[in-house]
Amino acid sequence: MLGVMFQKLWAKKWMFSCLLLGSVLLIATAISFPMYEIAAFDRMLRDEFRSSEINTGVWPAKLSAVDTSMKGTEGENLRRYEEKFAAIAQRLGVETKEQIYFYRLTQWTLKALGKRNDVWPGVLRLGTASNLEEHVDILAGEMYSEDGLAEDGAIEVLINQKCMVRTNMLVGEMLESTTLKDADGIPYKLRIVGIYKEKGNDPYWEIGANYMNETCMLEEGLFRNLFLGSDINRHNITCRYCYLFEYEALDAAQAEGLITKIQEDEYVAQECLGLLQDFQAKRGRVSTTLFILQVPVLMLLGAFLFMVSGQMYELERNEISVIKSRGSSGFQIFRLYLYQTVFLTVVGVLLGVPLGGVFCKILGSASNFLEFGLRRSLEIRFEGIVWIYLAVAVLATVLIMTMPAIRHSKVSIVNLKQGRALKKRSWWERVFLDVICLGIGLYGYYNYSHNQDAVMRNLMTDQSLDPLLYISSSLFIVGMGLLFLRLQPFLVKLVYLVGQRFWHPSSYASFLENMKNGRKQQFIMLFLILTVSLGAFHATVARTILQNARKNVEYMDGADIIIKEVWRDNAALAAEESNVQPGYYEPDFQKYTTLEAAESYTKVYYDDPKTNGKVNVYFEEGNLTFMGIHSKEFGENTSLDRALLDRHYYEYLNLLADNPDGLLVSRNVQTKLGYQEGDYFSFLYEYTIGSDDTRMTFNNFFHGKIVGFVDYWPGFNNSTTYLDLAGNVVVEDNYLLVMNIAAIQEKFIQRPQPYEVWINLKEDADSADVAKWIEANEIKVEKYVDRQGDIEATVEDPLLQGTNGVLTMGFLVMILLCGVGYLIYWIMSIRSREMIFGVLRAFGMHKGELFHMLILEQIFSGIMSILVGIGIGKLASMMYVPMLQMAYAADNQVLPMQLYTNPADMYRLYAALTLVMAVCLLVLIVIVFKLNVAKALKLGEE
Amino acid sequence: MKENEVIRVSHVNRIFPVAGGTFQALTDISLEIPSGALAILKGRSGSGKTTLLNILGALDKPSSGKVYIDGKDIGELSERAREDLRRTQMGFVFQAVSLIPTMNAFQNVEFSMRMAGIREGRKERVEECLKMVGLGGRLRHMPSEMSGGEQQRVAIARALAHKPRIIFADEPTAELDSAMGAEVVRLFKEMCGREQVTIVMTTHDVGLMDAGDIIIELENGHRIMEAQEEGQVEREDG
Repeated sequence: MLGVMFQKLWAKKWMFSCLLLGSVLLIATAISFPMYEIAAFDRMLRDEFRSSEINTGVWPAKLSAVDTSMKGTEGENLRRYEEKFAAIAQRLGVETKEQIYFYRLTQWTLKALGKRNDVWPGVLRLGTASNLEEHVDILAGEMYSEDGLAEDGAIEVLINQKCMVRTNMLVGEMLESTTLKDADGIPYKLRIVGIYKEKGNDPYWEIGANYMNETCMLEEGLFRNLFLGSDINRHNITCRYCYLFEYEALDAAQAEGLITKIQEDEYVAQECLGLLQDFQAKRGRVSTTLFILQVPVLMLLGAFLFMVSGQMYELERNEISVIKSRGSSGFQIFRLYLYQTVFLTVVGVLLGVPLGGVFCKILGSASNFLEFGLRRSLEIRFEGIVWIYLAVAVLATVLIMTMPAIRHSKVSIVNLKQGRALKKRSWWERVFLDVICLGIGLYGYYNYSHNQDAVMRNLMTDQSLDPLLYISSSLFIVGMGLLFLRLQPFLVKLVYLVGQRFWHPSSYASFLENMKNGRKQQFIMLFLILTVSLGAFHATVARTILQNARKNVEYMDGADIIIKEVWRDNAALAAEESNVQPGYYEPDFQKYTTLEAAESYTKVYYDDPKTNGKVNVYFEEGNLTFMGIHSKEFGENTSLDRALLDRHYYEYLNLLADNPDGLLVSRNVQTKLGYQEGDYFSFLYEYTIGSDDTRMTFNNFFHGKIVGFVDYWPGFNNSTTYLDLAGNVVVEDNYLLVMNIAAIQEKFIQRPQPYEVWINLKEDADSADVAKWIEANEIKVEKYVDRQGDIEATVEDPLLQGTNGVLTMGFLVMILLCGVGYLIYWIMSIRSREMIFGVLRAFGMHKGELFHMLILEQIFSGIMSILVGIGIGKLASMMYVPMLQMAYAADNQVLPMQLYTNPADMYRLYAALTLVMAVCLLVLIVIVFKLNVAKALKLGEE
Repeated sequence: MKENEVIRVSHVNRIFPVAGGTFQALTDISLEIPSGALAILKGRSGSGKTTLLNILGALDKPSSGKVYIDGKDIGELSERAREDLRRTQMGFVFQAVSLIPTMNAFQNVEFSMRMAGIREGRKERVEECLKMVGLGGRLRHMPSEMSGGEQQRVAIARALAHKPRIIFADEPTAELDSAMGAEVVRLFKEMCGREQVTIVMTTHDVGLMDAGDIIIELENGHRIMEAQEEGQVEREDG
């Protein structure tokens, strides 16, 4: 049986290669998606932790617990707690970064034994922390000795710098407990042997350095001996446990288990738990979105396999029928095909799994649609979910490839002849599948475009790509494709009828061929249409989503680099001395000349609702962004798309330049507040100087003439969308006031206010150079915007990046399949008709006329499908992409959505298809030229 | 050249290259076929009938020797002129089913007229031809809906429709039962008379030889002259 199988495969090696290609691609594609997700989620999880650490300065992977053991309770409890904490790493399965215990006696009063009266120990407790020695620098004195006791029996303790300042105690100071005594009834004596400072940048201090400010630290072993050693606690003890783990070693797969265990064990783990939960939610969304995007690609792969294996059985129908008529059972034939399928699948797995890894890398490097610019390494792992995908892919491959065999194994030569009569209609035409698909697709479109609010609400609560929306776009495309297939025969017939009498014999023959045999081509035509239309659609989806996200970041950031330095204020001084005007000291502005990466830079006074200022406009108080600019310099450092404004951006800047008291305001000042150009506009600007106790509030009155209304302005968000408590989507207007910075500075002359520096980078400059410059100049930065970095982060966001990757991968796979599929179909179709060609040639048909006929056929099936596919893809893009894009941008999209297409994508698609068509043509030429009329006619002699 | 002679073959040889040498399929064949005759090429399979028929039908070229159709040496014609000759002056009936499966009976027959560039009177002529082969009522039937004999009759009608000078039929009766075979030959005979067409057919069916005006017998690529004439006499006697 195996011998027969291999013979059969060899005889049909081309078909077999195509089947193999299909199964390898199906398996590779299927597993590359989960592989990518695993790797991308690992990175996403670590990124979340890392950025939290950078933003807050706190080690985010932290679990802590506090336990207080009262005097007289059993020490057992405390120890059990300690043991549980010691086993935490094992329980959570994480890598320990630091494990810290901090014990402190709660009741402890000390008196100084020295003669100095300026010493004030106050409430000073006794405590110990694990491994303290390794995390402190001794500033004065020395570390306590190994046993923690001085030669005179006093307990050696350390205090920190802050404690020293507060209590005024020095090294060598002797203290005595006034409340507690040892077993012999003698009060404990302490000697301060050293002053320490916490080592910087050490997550160890997550335990809480401030607790140490009022604690004398003694050696751990000694503390345990003296205060924890017995069965019954003799003192009230507070125990703080702090467990830090290495987030860089975390896997995404651990997140869920970690959340459960952390919650079960009731640790205090605010940041950690929050990050993990956010991650889980985001991962769910990304996962759903990517899954939805994968489905059509996988389905097309399945369809391809089905088509090729169907084609192969078609070829073998005669053989099967003969075998069958000679007495082989259906089961034997089925078994032959099962072996063949198993063989193909095994080879498919062997080749597909490594290829899946390669696909995964390609997927992860997609920086844009069909662009592979990302150079980060993805850690490829083969685990859990990948196995499931592999299993499903293998099962699907086996099923799809044996399905036609099941049908055919029942066919004997008798029903084969009967079955050859052409069927009138395909099953999908009879059940009106095209109408159903189109109906659902259009209903989805209608529903979404008429209920934007509901869509927005959905998106804001669960930001994954709405499966229904995506499915309706896919159904629309399928429905349109099928509808075309339904209409295509009528179209051909119409053209045929128009010139029925005059058609050249070869055109005539191809018309009839298409009208009678067209149904056989429906599958390959649908495949072509779907490839082209989904390709065009996905290219637009990917480009639009990414490009809008990029543009949005570019716009919202305002400039390449924005630096707002920390300005020192004199509020404290001004509070004490009435003749000092409160204000800020302006940092050196000259230094920006040394910033070589900058092409130009300008001062911008910028305040928005998120920062400290507040504008009181007399008639209405709204979210207001207040900007002071130097119009010429601002124009040099920023830009705005022409389409966003009525007139050119520079014309607005010129209006400001021409009017020292001019005001550019947002459009809603006109539409909502009723102001017109030339009107005067007054407002009170309220701002503060200083922080905390020394904060002082001031205000200035501004008055200006409105010289223009703008819809958009660099960095200006014209509305805020949020969900209110009732779950309604609220869109709140933001207002903008832009005036000349000179006019503002004139008002602030008494009390200078911090401004920002907006920087335009040189063409080839790297924003990292700016960061280095800031560090080198030791500039303290309050606000730092790095547009390059923000864009990179946007591009690398797993949702966008994954979308790009999946769509790109799918596109490439589809082009490949479509090309191969079309070739197979075409070659098979020609080969099976060689005898007819012989007849036609015998009748005196010229070679050129034969070409003419075949090319016309190719136009009816291939070219027409491609053209229709392009049309459907464009239509679907216009209809559905705006809604899909919303799913990605949701509430933070400020700029109007724009459809982006890159002609290059379509050129690539056309190039691939042209290649396929050219190969088809080549095959055609070879077959026609090699066609031996006499030999071809002999083909008929069975 | 004799008057009303359609085909004249003089000293034709046909040699095929085969693995490790050559194979002489036809050796020094000469013959003449007058207009309106039904000529039968007989011989065992492998005797060279089909090779000769292909050469006569301008589908193949002889290795040496000349073939004249209506006095014209077709060996001197270009490939294209030979094709034009085939589509206007010749009709073909093949052993196997050779109808175009996507065309119905009417369209199949009409197709040869389209090929020959005939624009007028096609419908009437097609109907006439199909009626002649006894299929006047099955114009719209597809080849797959007809029996082998019916298909072959459509093929004959197709070979006839564009009024060719010669019809070449390669074993047209091989796939048919003997009654049907006799019917096809009777049809040929009738057509020779009615349409003034010359028909050259090959067969190995001895029972059909009676009908031929000329019998050309081949054996291993050689023409057997005497056998033909004697056979003719014998049969007339019997």
